[in-house]
Amino acid sequence: MSAGAFTRIFDNDWIGPGIVSLAAVVGISVFQPSFLSPFNIFVLLSAISVNMVIALGQLVIIAIGQMNLALGAFGGLVAICFVGVMELYGASPVFALLFGLAIGTSAGMASGYMIARTGISAFIITLAGLQIFKGINLGITEAQPFYGVPQSVRDFGNLTMIGPIPWLVVPMVMASVGMWYLLNHLRIGRYILAIGNNPHAAELSGINQRVTITWAHAISGLLAAVGGIMLVAKLQIGQPTIGDDWLISSFAAPVIGGAVLSGGHVSVAGTFFGVVVIAIITQALVLFNIDPYIVQVVLGGLILWAVSINRWRELRVAKLQEQGK
Amino acid sequence: MATALQVSHVSKSFPGVKALSDVSITFQAGSVHALLGENGAGKSTLIKIVTGIYHQEEGEVLMDGKPVSFANPRKAAAGGLGVVHQERNLVNRFSVGENIMLDRLGAHSLSPVDYRSVYKEAERWLKLLELDVDPRMRVSQLSVAQMQLVEIGKALSLQSRVLLLDEPTASLTPNETTVLFRILRKLRDDGVAIGFVSHKLEEVFEICDRVTVLRDGQNACDSVDLSTLKRADVVRMMIGRAERISKREARPKRDVPPYIELKSYASADGHHNINLAVRPGEIVGLYGLVGAGRSELAKALLGQSPQTGGEVLVSGRPVSIRSVSEALHVYGMGYVSEDRKQEGLILLHSVLANCGITVWRKLATRMGFLRDATVMDHVGPILRKLELKTPSVYQTIGNLSGGNQQKVSVAKWIAAGVNFLIIDEPSVGIDIKTKAYLHDLIHELANEGTAILLITSDMPEMVDVADRILVMDDYQIKGEVENDRNYERVSKQIMGFIHGREAA
Amino acid sequence: MNHTVASPSIATEAQNPVQGRGSTLTRLLLSNEFGLAVLLSFTFLIFANTLQGFSSTFSLFTIGRQIGINTMIGLAMMAVIVTGGLDLSVGAIGACTAMFFGYLAQVLGVPLLLAVPLSIVFGAGLGFINGTTVVKSGVHSFIITLASMSIFFGLMIFLTKAQSFNQLPPEVQGFGKSKLAGVVSPLLIISIVMCSALSLFYRFTTLGRSMLAAGANPKAAELSGIRTGPIIRACHVLTGGLAALAGLMLTARTGAAIPSMAGQLGQDWLLPAFLAPVLGGTLLAGGRVSVVGTFLGAAFVNVMTSGLLLMRVGEFWILACLGFMLLLAVLTDKARQTILSKKGMV
Repeated sequence: MSAGAFTRIFDNDWIGPGIVSLAAVVGISVFQPSFLSPFNIFVLLSAISVNMVIALGQLVIIAIGQMNLALGAFGGLVAICFVGVMELYGASPVFALLFGLAIGTSAGMASGYMIARTGISAFIITLAGLQIFKGINLGITEAQPFYGVPQSVRDFGNLTMIGPIPWLVVPMVMASVGMWYLLNHLRIGRYILAIGNNPHAAELSGINQRVTITWAHAISGLLAAVGGIMLVAKLQIGQPTIGDDWLISSFAAPVIGGAVLSGGHVSVAGTFFGVVVIAIITQALVLFNIDPYIVQVVLGGLILWAVSINRWRELRVAKLQEQGK
Repeated sequence: MATALQVSHVSKSFPGVKALSDVSITFQAGSVHALLGENGAGKSTLIKIVTGIYHQEEGEVLMDGKPVSFANPRKAAAGGLGVVHQERNLVNRFSVGENIMLDRLGAHSLSPVDYRSVYKEAERWLKLLELDVDPRMRVSQLSVAQMQLVEIGKALSLQSRVLLLDEPTASLTPNETTVLFRILRKLRDDGVAIGFVSHKLEEVFEICDRVTVLRDGQNACDSVDLSTLKRADVVRMMIGRAERISKREARPKRDVPPYIELKSYASADGHHNINLAVRPGEIVGLYGLVGAGRSELAKALLGQSPQTGGEVLVSGRPVSIRSVSEALHVYGMGYVSEDRKQEGLILLHSVLANCGITVWRKLATRMGFLRDATVMDHVGPILRKLELKTPSVYQTIGNLSGGNQQKVSVAKWIAAGVNFLIIDEPSVGIDIKTKAYLHDLIHELANEGTAILLITSDMPEMVDVADRILVMDDYQIKGEVENDRNYERVSKQIMGFIHGREAA
Repeated sequence: MNHTVASPSIATEAQNPVQGRGSTLTRLLLSNEFGLAVLLSFTFLIFANTLQGFSSTFSLFTIGRQIGINTMIGLAMMAVIVTGGLDLSVGAIGACTAMFFGYLAQVLGVPLLLAVPLSIVFGAGLGFINGTTVVKSGVHSFIITLASMSIFFGLMIFLTKAQSFNQLPPEVQGFGKSKLAGVVSPLLIISIVMCSALSLFYRFTTLGRSMLAAGANPKAAELSGIRTGPIIRACHVLTGGLAALAGLMLTARTGAAIPSMAGQLGQDWLLPAFLAPVLGGTLLAGGRVSVVGTFLGAAFVNVMTSGLLLMRVGEFWILACLGFMLLLAVLTDKARQTILSKKGMV
């Protein structure tokens, strides 16, 4: 294989994290065979499913060149509303689901609309959103969880579908395929990426920035809602702290998966492997009795490493372009 | 012939400068209409008004006889107006096909993109332009010329009734230009109204049938039949007089060793074999068209781009400059940027802050303490001498007129007492009076011993100011012309070096 | 980053007169700081007159002390916003410094007079790591500090096993509890002194001026001979030092060094860190700073919060309120900028 072809392979976003995932799985199972037990696979897949949906929620915003700090707050609020409406008002799970999704989507839409309309940075608007929704969440629950999660929901979050594969995988696969299709085949997805890559060119070409940004944040809110509900199903309670720790991992996975933070380039497959890597590392640290807080350190390190690699790749592409002229 | 687009008595001002005053131009269907003028004459402003980026204060724009006022470029495109701008506006991670069809990817937000028809449609336009690229190829992999052609293809695909092209051949080879002209002729025959902005007069005479010349924001002529004009007539209209009689005498030569000398200099930007020397008190001009590599050379000299070959000598000693800070504080070099608003000044800050930025380090005490009054003592006299018009030195510089802003961007280097000053396109967007003032100032600085490198694509300015002129093209020096202030002779020689033959 | 605060468009520029109009007085009256001062006084007076216990010595003392701490947190973020960057790790740095201090004072028995400056240097050192990484990698400080916040915090928890230091020398708590003139906390005084120092810094030193220049227009600054790399690194060092000081102040208030003092990963500090400078008029895009504004912003937020608490508004609802306040602040500032630019008074 020529040097050019070799490096071209690594130009693909998901190969790197994919290989790392594989190596990690193989490596750990050598030391700890119970790593590949059906139960452990179930646990891993459950974590991966939830985290992938959360990562996708941030991915769509990274694609447009912004960030959504309120992702966790959306998720948390939807989680407690989901359970609350069932526990306090006796709603059916289906209604509660739709209700929760509606809340997430509208919150996202409001956020996106404000960003698009005022031109104020997404950082500040979503920072404010984070506080507002967190505040509402805690105001409603007074930091106490809702316990009234129906059996059907609990089952969904904790039973397997086939073999060790949990039901939770279903919404994850739907969301992943949906996002991939959106970004690669739907007009709105292409416009999101166009704006992320070159907002000026996008504007001159006739793309309506306001509409596109609003859509992107609405989708982000929707995915946050899905993630929050999935967590409720898995944890079996409506925990108000849901979403508190989404910030770092929602960025880490896409970045490991090759996403460019200035926008315009993301990879669903890469993000998936990013989620896998993080899930495996998290679990491995527990398995080897390493302090769980080291996870935070590792996550931070992973982000730095991934960002540097992405940047190096960007610079190489720019240099090759210069030479080609 | 029907009138497709008419600009009628349009005026537009910016703080302190009237960019356009009572300008009219009539684009007729089935004609290729040249829009000519020097830098700062108002061409880009006019285009921006027509396409909805700016809004005029007086006058109106009419399409097919009806007044239009496009709120933004998007609406202009929808209204039948296609534009190819000077700068590239492509989404470089997308494919060629997608870029061309970017505004027509689907009926509504949730429509799936029919890539097959996107690429087929794109293929059509690529074939027309004889551009041999796969529509599936990523734009980032194209050459600059190919990118320009893709944008032209994009504008063509809109099938607008009016098509405006701003320097469309800037990056194209003669072959590619021939193909483009063939297409433009066909469009013209099909009834499209084409606007053609270009510095290259040979091309204008080749393809256009009408011409409007702008000078200092006004019509020098309005929609005249080009066949009635000769090149000399057009040039005269652009610069205002048939022959530039410079009031200045040629300056006496100083026989001193150069302050800065480049020997076979090469840079990472692509410069090679650059031989250049500027003596204290000398004004060396560096002439070239857009893209020749002049500003890049200036920035590379200041340390922003690595040196890959040759030697740079300051006062006879070889140096290796790695940062602008080093260039300024160690070697006394300064640079008045061509992009005053983005690179030359900090628009958010005050006149005093902008003027003093180069001397803070020098004026501060050892602890780094520095009072405004100290800065004022140093720069005040300079600002007064330059007759800077500002209510106070604490005025936000973004509020000053272009001419006054430019004065400050030069003042800060005077304040720094530089030995070598590179001045890049000093008069773009500046009123006549300030322009003349700046020329006097440059001469005065030179007389006081500063070595000056003047970069400008304004020929009359070059002949008026420089002692000798180096011609740059394609990141190399193509030739040198001694300046006796005979405009005809000097400009002919310069153009000869650029085009490799005697310019008509 | 896309979609930062937009500058006035060319179209509105045309309506400006050639030079800015408006006397100094008008400018002062329309300024952010003045409006904030008015708002602050207004709110304070209303609460003082209507709420029982608001103007009690204890209440005023507590409010003043909290203003001191929150101002310092706001100053820490302000220092990095000035150059157009962000530092999400301020909370983590604060917590790490506090724990470092606790270790020095409680475990090693280092005298306070030494432990305090050492801790501040420690925090500045963490800032140095941030700054160097940002400059060397060329990556935006948002993501670098996102990573460093979890690295710093995680390492700290690992090293301390999440154990608080609550056997600190009694002078620490004593300092936090002491009252000057019966109502003023020394922590408030420290903040006011720091505000003055920073004001002087940005106006009267080369480094401060260079930071403002590099923040307003890094390209122009670089081309004018400012070495933007070291400047940005210096900014992060300053932020780290200020965050460290805030962490120590918080330790003095609580009397113990608690790992979760700034929340998980230090996240809890993000809101006050941004709210104070933004309310106060420091531009997120960089290049303009208002130290007085940051102080007034912190003061207003704390007065408001205390008043609402006394009105028995749930603590959690207050959080939402503060979020709204942040939104309102940026929206108002945006509107104000548009109006001012239309009148030519930017």
